[in-house]
Amino acid sequence: MMKKAVALLLALALAAPGAYIAYTHVKALNVARCLGCIAMEPKAEKFREFWVEYPDSYKNEGIPAHPSWVVNESREHVVMLFFWGPSCEPCERQWEGMKRAGMVEGSEKDGRMAENYSYVTLFSLNAPFDKNGDSIRIYHRKGGTETPTTVILFERNNTIYWYAFSGEANGEGGRPTVEELSGILEKAREEKYGGVQP
Amino acid sequence: MVVCNLNCAACPFAYLCIPLAIGAFLAIKRYQSRLQKKRLASQVTFLFITNTAFIFGATGLIYTYFYCWEGPLALMACPIGVLEHAFADRAWYLLPYLFGVFGVSSVIFGRAACGWACPIGLLQDLTRGRRTKHPLDEKMRYLKYAILALIPPVCYVTGTLAYTNICPVGGLTATLPHLALDPDGYTFTAFFVPKMLILAGFFVLILLMTRGWCRHLCPVGAMMGPFNKISVLELRYFEDKCIKCFKCAKVCPMQIRMPYDNRSSECIRCGTCVDACPTDALALAFKWK
Repeated sequence: MMKKAVALLLALALAAPGAYIAYTHVKALNVARCLGCIAMEPKAEKFREFWVEYPDSYKNEGIPAHPSWVVNESREHVVMLFFWGPSCEPCERQWEGMKRAGMVEGSEKDGRMAENYSYVTLFSLNAPFDKNGDSIRIYHRKGGTETPTTVILFERNNTIYWYAFSGEANGEGGRPTVEELSGILEKAREEKYGGVQP
Repeated sequence: MVVCNLNCAACPFAYLCIPLAIGAFLAIKRYQSRLQKKRLASQVTFLFITNTAFIFGATGLIYTYFYCWEGPLALMACPIGVLEHAFADRAWYLLPYLFGVFGVSSVIFGRAACGWACPIGLLQDLTRGRRTKHPLDEKMRYLKYAILALIPPVCYVTGTLAYTNICPVGGLTATLPHLALDPDGYTFTAFFVPKMLILAGFFVLILLMTRGWCRHLCPVGAMMGPFNKISVLELRYFEDKCIKCFKCAKVCPMQIRMPYDNRSSECIRCGTCVDACPTDALALAFKWK
């Protein structure tokens, strides 16, 4: 009896504080629904124009509730949200591609935009673990199974314009190519600042 | 509230409930005894609970059996997925939660989750693979421990979810259901073909061998198996009642050497042997002593 009771107590002693510490992070991992992990990526529509409201391919309707720290920053700069996870290979491939193209510097963890892109503020967010990582849910398509990877936003005349890559955008399963990304950032710069280059 | 309107062609849950209904029909015909009917009811209930994210949303709970958390309706987290994340992401604080949950479940129930809750176990009960007498069969059981032992170092070194990439259970319970829901909605990564080939191998295995996946390859079963020696739920053997007819050994889906090996780490507490015993020399019971 003692052996079983001690084993059960030990297990409970592990499980209770373990659940207290890790439950929310396990939930975040579960919510993220990494389709890349099961060998597939959802197709996404290609970039045509920036959105104000959710387009038809999203479950939600109306204007997204962009986080306040994004809204504040988008008044001054174009904002790029780069969502990644520690064991996400496509995330790392995209980061390395952007780095090789001279778009970003540093690592995913403490990355920043390169000097040529000083008009862009980068938020590189470890989606399951950063405190702002759950902002990923705002940009989910179809109610949560199609995870966004990169979101570009800017403010003009008190309106937030945005575009999110969710799913296969240009052959790299949910990940934009560097050329496509730089084209969209350039378009955002034109629309935000008009002819006046920052 | 989801209500069946019998319009399966338009229903997103058809991939789940049509096989379930066919399986339940076949199983009820096969499962004769009361204990086995209870077990089937438990397995079907767990299959339903496993897929209730459409009611409760995705939670931070962990399954104590094998099911992919990338599945469209998956409620909880895959234990192997959590283990992989702990090592690939260096998120060590996930481990006490994982081992604690498995510890509690396994100290109380032993490996009963394989027999009473796991949807993959239910599938194998339905496919009813054959019994094998190959001499390698006994040794092959250690493969699952080797797989479990390999997952942490490989994930740590590569920084990837190495097992998930090729996991046949993920292919069956996540990749295929997503494809069934939206056949034209996806592109595939380089792991798709290997994953599907491994899934085909999985089906060959469970069709050819009784509980082939559980006995030889399931890393979740390997996590729980050793707890059978001390679990509160015991398969009890009363030697004085035994007439050595060995009917228990003949029906055991895990091919354990019954009745002498009743505390084997392979036992899934399914109770098939209990039902087969003509003298009640075997019983499933919760015992603290």
